[in-house]
Amino acid sequence: MKQYDLIIIGGGISGCAIARELSAYQLRVAVLEKNLDVATGTTKANGGIVHGGDDPQPGTLKAKLNVRGVELYPEYAKQLGFKYRETGSMVVGFNEEDLKYLEKLLDNGIKNGVKDIELVKDPKRIREIEPQCSKDAKYAVYCPHCGIVDPFEVAIAMCENAVENGVDFYLGEPVTKIEKKDNLFEITTPKDTYQCTYVIDAAGLHADDVARLAGIDEYNIIARHGDLLMLDKECGVKNLMPLYPIPSPESKGTVALSTLAGNVIVSATAVYREKDDTDSYADGIAQLIAGATKLVNGLNTRKVIRTFAGERAVCENNNNDFWIKPSATCENWFHVAGIQSPGVASAPALAEYVLNMLKENGVPFEKKENWNPIHKEPIDFSELSSEAQDKLIHEEPSYGKIVCRCETVTEGEIVAAIHRNPQATTVEAVKRRTRAGMGRCQSGFCQSKVVHILSRELGIPVEEVRLESKDSWLLAGEVKEGVTK
Amino acid sequence: MKTNYDVIVIGGGPAGMAAAIEADKKGAQVALVERNEELGGILNQCIHPGFGLKYFKEELTGPEYAQRLINELEKTKVEVFLSSMVLEINHLENGNHLVSFINEEGRLSLETKAIVLAMGCRERTRGEIKIPGARVAGVYTAGLAQRYINMDNLKPGTRFVILGSGDIGLIMARRLSLEGMKVEGVYELMPYANGLFRNIKNCLEDFGIPLHLSTTVTRVIGKDRVEAVEVTKVDENLQPIDGTQEIIPCDTLLLSIGLIPENEISSKAGVALNPATNGAIVDDNFETSVKGIFSCGNVLHVHDLADNVTQEAEKTGRNAASYALGETKEAEAKLQVSANFPIGYTVPSTTQKNQNASIYFRVRKPIEEAEMVITSGDKEIFRGKPRSYKPSIMECQMVPAKLLENATDEITLSLEMKESA
Repeated sequence: MKQYDLIIIGGGISGCAIARELSAYQLRVAVLEKNLDVATGTTKANGGIVHGGDDPQPGTLKAKLNVRGVELYPEYAKQLGFKYRETGSMVVGFNEEDLKYLEKLLDNGIKNGVKDIELVKDPKRIREIEPQCSKDAKYAVYCPHCGIVDPFEVAIAMCENAVENGVDFYLGEPVTKIEKKDNLFEITTPKDTYQCTYVIDAAGLHADDVARLAGIDEYNIIARHGDLLMLDKECGVKNLMPLYPIPSPESKGTVALSTLAGNVIVSATAVYREKDDTDSYADGIAQLIAGATKLVNGLNTRKVIRTFAGERAVCENNNNDFWIKPSATCENWFHVAGIQSPGVASAPALAEYVLNMLKENGVPFEKKENWNPIHKEPIDFSELSSEAQDKLIHEEPSYGKIVCRCETVTEGEIVAAIHRNPQATTVEAVKRRTRAGMGRCQSGFCQSKVVHILSRELGIPVEEVRLESKDSWLLAGEVKEGVTK
Repeated sequence: MKTNYDVIVIGGGPAGMAAAIEADKKGAQVALVERNEELGGILNQCIHPGFGLKYFKEELTGPEYAQRLINELEKTKVEVFLSSMVLEINHLENGNHLVSFINEEGRLSLETKAIVLAMGCRERTRGEIKIPGARVAGVYTAGLAQRYINMDNLKPGTRFVILGSGDIGLIMARRLSLEGMKVEGVYELMPYANGLFRNIKNCLEDFGIPLHLSTTVTRVIGKDRVEAVEVTKVDENLQPIDGTQEIIPCDTLLLSIGLIPENEISSKAGVALNPATNGAIVDDNFETSVKGIFSCGNVLHVHDLADNVTQEAEKTGRNAASYALGETKEAEAKLQVSANFPIGYTVPSTTQKNQNASIYFRVRKPIEEAEMVITSGDKEIFRGKPRSYKPSIMECQMVPAKLLENATDEITLSLEMKESA
């Protein structure tokens, strides 16, 4: 049995942000994650937008955390070495009815404290702000401080910095049983049992199910499914700021934007479905294409390279707000649930809020003297200057071997990703850390190479290399036994 | 180390090797840059026979075909850089080009008068045709599965459904069957097969593998690994017909749904591309829109035979060498070449009045009987015999210089359909 002061269940962006925040204190903290990598749930399948904060209803917790998150992101990005770009964003209107909505949205934004928010009524100025916006756009609410990130990169950086500061991450350990004995929680996974005083339940879509394992039944999570599309870097549009249509109560509607890597992402539909349904649906895909075509001028929607889907954890009967509070029935259990959109935008502020909540509830905090908030960003070969590339290859020749030709990812980067802490042990974990397989050939050329590097570096047979989850096998064994070199 | 060349060839498959050999024969100083550890390109994983019938007049496997070219290349002075990935091409003020690549030695830049682009093509993916359903392991492009089996000696699955009747898919159906893996069927969206007739016969019929036309995969089913796919019949507009869905249990979906020239480096170098081929726009010398940069093989347009690739690349290699050695004559009178549907594209896009022209093209749908009609302005300058045309076959229309004498500044290829009785 392993003993901790505090255990976080769930290694999504919220769990990772909290882990990193708490790593500054003299507290023994662990994170239990059911999948083989962090950031594999809602965190890996969303638009990656640090939304401006105009959308949430004033007075809600998520309005507060969203706006505070926007303030915190630039500094977070610097400390943790992840890429963040302030792009600005526009919610675009096409007619007088839309204008009424935008006026309300502006009011919303001002009430939420969104800085420099502006209602643009001059179509010419709309095109000055974003030349690729639809020519039919007449009105827009402009949020200059909206930004973009790769959400899984943020979560991984937070996780790694937490580990550097003493937090333990246990991957591939789904919680199967929780008991409370003498004021201590005993949490069982298939591999071990963990004992702790405090639990933070950040288990995303399954936060309610995890709480029920501990006999806590205070809320329900339902899953709001969203289809997304990723387009080729060559799709007629470059550096597109996030463009939103007039939102619906369920979703911000089809948002189109350029990602940090230069692809265009179209995100996301909103349909209630079963938990863990991350299938793509044809009608959702069609809806996204129609939506993006309406918003963006010159987008070649035939250039889709990947369709995927995610689910947002929605706390039922909670006015679409986050559900972050101590359990009403079980002392020392804290809910971090219902983290739907803007979960990515709120993550740094959410961690700050959770820390204060813990303090208010008597969790003792004492600063670590040697806490290091700085996380060194991994080498991105394709971003280096020619001279730096040459120098790096001389130091380590594996940086001279291209594995993923579409995204210019070298063997050196892949090996480094595998040996970071925690290790990248799956093809998708390598992809999230290096972009190998994210390009237009979608790993057609590099998957076999990545599988072999994983096998070699981890010392496991190639047949044991997984795509993502524990049962996502790729290879069924040798064709002819005994002939492999 | 030598850093100045007449011709640099990018890519060491059948196109790159043939171009390099011919450029060397013309007396040019040639370097060839290949990203893999060995020459041969995709031929190395094509261990089936059927190569070389046209070019070597005997039947060879892919690696044998590649070896013939490697042997030829070794007789030349061509400098070969293996495991070397070209990252960019820059243009110098003196009209030359700078090719920058990396390998385990570092980052290198070589100056050259001419470049031959011969990077080949890649496969279309699940994302491009937007197959709905689960994001699970077990969806492979046919070429990746071929690599796993033929190069790595690994089985990518046990029970397969193949979508697309392109040649790679058909060949993989046979390969999987021969190696004891089960192929449930090949499904094709179009009402006709896309691969060569001989492959339908040798790879499917001989192995009792059913080919389902006008049917496509509409959903991938599974939790972690493919557990089944849903297939649905499509109507004449290629739209799924509700009520015809069928669930086929399998653990692997192979995609053989088309090839796309890989022109990342070309477009970064400013080479204009033809949206109909995804390859460069070239003239009759296979020179692209950028002076001194040539293109041939599958990076120019997707061929069905390596033999054709080799022949096209030989011409291109000679032309690149002529250009580098200052032997190229300025074209006297350029003719724009265009084509009408159902001809999908032509290579080249321009030709010259004083020369015989070879115009390559593909049709977009099968034509039972049609006459090739070549016009210039409102004048008909050529009419071919009635015959059939298939999308799976790359055609070559020869036009003698004599006929082009009467042309204006353009020629247009059309197929005049015969009314079927």
